Amino acid sequence: MAIDTKWSEILNSSENKGAYIKEVQDLDDEIGAFLQFDPDLGAALTTGGSENSLKGLPFAVKDNIAVKDFNLTCGSKILETFSSPYSATAVKRLLEAGAIPVGKVNLDEFGMGSATTNSALRKTVNPWNPDRVPGGSSGGSAAAVAAGMVPFSLGSDTGGSVRQPANFCGVYGLKPTYGAVSRYGLVAYASSLECIGILSESVDMMERVYETIKGSDPKDQTSRDASGEIPDLHHETMTIGVLESTEGLDEEVAQAYEEAINQCKSLGWNILPVTIDSLNYVVPVYYTIAAAEASANLARYTGVRYGHRSAQSTDVQSMTRETREEGFGSEVKSRIILGTYVLRSGFQDQYYVRAQKIRTRIKMDLAEVYEKVDLLMMPVFPTQAFPATGDSLTPFQQKLADRYTITANLAGLPAMSVPTGVKNGLPVGVQFMAPEFCETHLFKAAKAYEAIYRPQRASKSLHLIQEVR
Amino acid sequence: MAAFDTFIGLEVHIHLLTKTKVFCDCAFEYGAPPNTHVCPVCLGYPGVLPTVNREALKFSYMVGEALHCTPSEKTFFERKNYFYPDMSKNYQITQFQEPVGLGGYFEFKTQGKTKKIRIHDIHLEEDAGKMIHDGNRSLVDYNRAGTSLLEIVTEPDLSSGEEAEDFLQAFRQMVQYMGVCDGNMEEGSLRCDANISINKKGKGLGTKVEIKNMNSSRNVRIAMRYEQRRQARAKKTGTKIVQETRLWDAENKKTQKMRTKEAAHDYRYFPEPDIPPFIPDEQFKEAVRAAMVELPAVRKERMKGEYGLQNDMVDFLTAEKSRADFYEKVIASGADKETSAKWMKGEFTKLLSREGLDISTTNMTPQRFSDLMKLLGDGTIHANIAKQILEIILEEDKDPSVIISERELMRPAADASGLENLIKEIIALEPAAIADIKEGNQKAIGFLMGKVMKETKGSFDPATVRAKLLELLGI
Repeated sequence: MAIDTKWSEILNSSENKGAYIKEVQDLDDEIGAFLQFDPDLGAALTTGGSENSLKGLPFAVKDNIAVKDFNLTCGSKILETFSSPYSATAVKRLLEAGAIPVGKVNLDEFGMGSATTNSALRKTVNPWNPDRVPGGSSGGSAAAVAAGMVPFSLGSDTGGSVRQPANFCGVYGLKPTYGAVSRYGLVAYASSLECIGILSESVDMMERVYETIKGSDPKDQTSRDASGEIPDLHHETMTIGVLESTEGLDEEVAQAYEEAINQCKSLGWNILPVTIDSLNYVVPVYYTIAAAEASANLARYTGVRYGHRSAQSTDVQSMTRETREEGFGSEVKSRIILGTYVLRSGFQDQYYVRAQKIRTRIKMDLAEVYEKVDLLMMPVFPTQAFPATGDSLTPFQQKLADRYTITANLAGLPAMSVPTGVKNGLPVGVQFMAPEFCETHLFKAAKAYEAIYRPQRASKSLHLIQEVR
Repeated sequence: MAAFDTFIGLEVHIHLLTKTKVFCDCAFEYGAPPNTHVCPVCLGYPGVLPTVNREALKFSYMVGEALHCTPSEKTFFERKNYFYPDMSKNYQITQFQEPVGLGGYFEFKTQGKTKKIRIHDIHLEEDAGKMIHDGNRSLVDYNRAGTSLLEIVTEPDLSSGEEAEDFLQAFRQMVQYMGVCDGNMEEGSLRCDANISINKKGKGLGTKVEIKNMNSSRNVRIAMRYEQRRQARAKKTGTKIVQETRLWDAENKKTQKMRTKEAAHDYRYFPEPDIPPFIPDEQFKEAVRAAMVELPAVRKERMKGEYGLQNDMVDFLTAEKSRADFYEKVIASGADKETSAKWMKGEFTKLLSREGLDISTTNMTPQRFSDLMKLLGDGTIHANIAKQILEIILEEDKDPSVIISERELMRPAADASGLENLIKEIIALEPAAIADIKEGNQKAIGFLMGKVMKETKGSFDPATVRAKLLELLGI
């Protein structure tokens, strides 16, 4: 735990702390991870911690997760001035373990996007290359960890929003089992799909944070404890299912996937090629369900009680209309419209109900696969971090590219992206996906892999802790 | 009206008497200052989640049981989407495909007969807040937002305003008995919308019109009668009856077309992802059964037989559960059935309503009431004293026997020698009055009676005093 010692040295001396704050501020002028950086405000919230807990460790929180007294903007103009009167359960548990929330980090507006370019408030760049996006929607969470500004951060993963930016920035990213971590305090986008997730610079840190924040919460009735024993691995050695066909991957990503398969073999693991036919349906199913839920979840932003209120209004109807017109960005609007469309009466069977049926089918397909394998290993995203401008992915291409990450959200399964190397100056990686509540298997695989490849920090990162891991 | 059949269905909303709101921990208190019973959950703040109140589910299943509904083995909530400022999330969490109870019926007395109407379903949902229009601005009070509401939807089996009123009163009495709703229509804890259609005899349902804004069962009756006539007139003159929502205007006693565009709403229902389906287990079902009480209609019949009371007396005693409970406890401690009933309906109720007291929360316990009735029955005290003791108990919180012994002049009638001595003393002190009586002046008897009653502070029965006085005067 050398890293813990280093961080407590930094944050416990006012001189070091000043240097830390200064360096983060300077570095973040280039990276743009933070929407609000205030370690003192965070330190005042910390309530406990003992040795071997997360005492004294700083962390960043995606700005769609509530931290009392901090802003809760969701990267949106509509909540730009909103500060939260309460803390999310996951945050509370970290505060009780003595960790210090140092600030709120950037995201695609309400978690909708794959590049953090849909933030209405700030531009975040990839610490490995400022011309590249950090991924999204938890782009700020990934960039802050990759740049060494914090050892871990909280993000949210609705369709890959933790794993994909973690992959783009070369850090670990965990999307837990649906319900394993309370969603209380996570601003809802697609309630049945999303989870609070973790981004970290090591597997050990990931595991400690997960152990701290997991567990059922009376404030979230969809939260659960693992029921019974976590199943053992099928075999003495781990069996990893790999996809027989992976079309549409960029060359570097395809190579990285092949290499990872070989590394698994070198670890003595069994490799079993599998086909999952329903993978072809995950994108339309995901966008139907997510948009439907979003259309209701985002209905509360009307300027009546909090947040932006249009000055152009003459009555309640125009206030609602103008506030939403001014406050939401185009991606959010398009998903609200799509969600409203698929829920229209008379069309539900064709869209929403059908999507739910396919979702059930996907779960069944995966359950079948897990009878033969312990973990599935898949690519995270078809490309490495793409350029923020120019010949970049269109919003539609970005949606299609979510196919590998979305599966875990539709099935409610835990998945973790793991950095496996650097190609052309940008990180590459893979993701492991486990049966529900088998996060420990993910950590086991990731640790074994960590022994082969230890992720580096990005080229732009904090000098203060550069040598310490 | 004879040429037409009338079909009335009701949507009754009852506020469940749960300690907290249906999806958060806020309490509800009628008339509390605006926005004092609110939290991030019922205000629809970003990031919060609803958690369903188990007591609300229990009350709902109890009502289902009382209405003979088929209870859902897996009930779930749905979102009903529409924008309105009094709804903090701009969707209402309600039930649609799988409500807590389906089917069922309710029997009640109307116009001397028992009528049975079918229940379509009962479903649990959250209430909205309240808009207050103040000049050119509107304010919202969210105290009521998120409070537990159970909606009972009947089939269109009622055929007149009178029946609708009788149904509502019987239903109200039932939910009060069960302790799931206080039944107060003025405060809005029991609300009712209606749908009504008429058609030529034997032709089945007509075009239905929804009527809202009736805040008492009486208004439901008058509104239904008004609407019956309005529709009949339309039929006779060949005017088309439009399917629409109309508001009852209690002041002008008529219904009026609602002005808003609410009619063509697409609510886009879909299952609430934040609340898992509720599957009642054996323990829950047992708790529901255990909480069920004897319902008013059943109790009325039983008490009539058991205590040999007349219809109007048993109606009075069972009108409220607390009253019926009180009476049965009084009888159980040995007081006379008829005297106790008479006194409860008479003096006691008069006193309670004068003081604005609730029978279940006064110093008058059933035991004290029973003791008082016994003292009255065996002649220890007479009616005037009993009345006084009744008042004193309410004020001083003491047993009747204590009150009697503390108040010296409130001597038991059995102390007849004391009375005799006192009368003799008074006779000796008033020779003029005695002379008048001897001359046949009856008024002088009244004068002496008054003296005795004053001296004894009314502790003796006037008839006893009079008899003794006449005896001693040798008249």
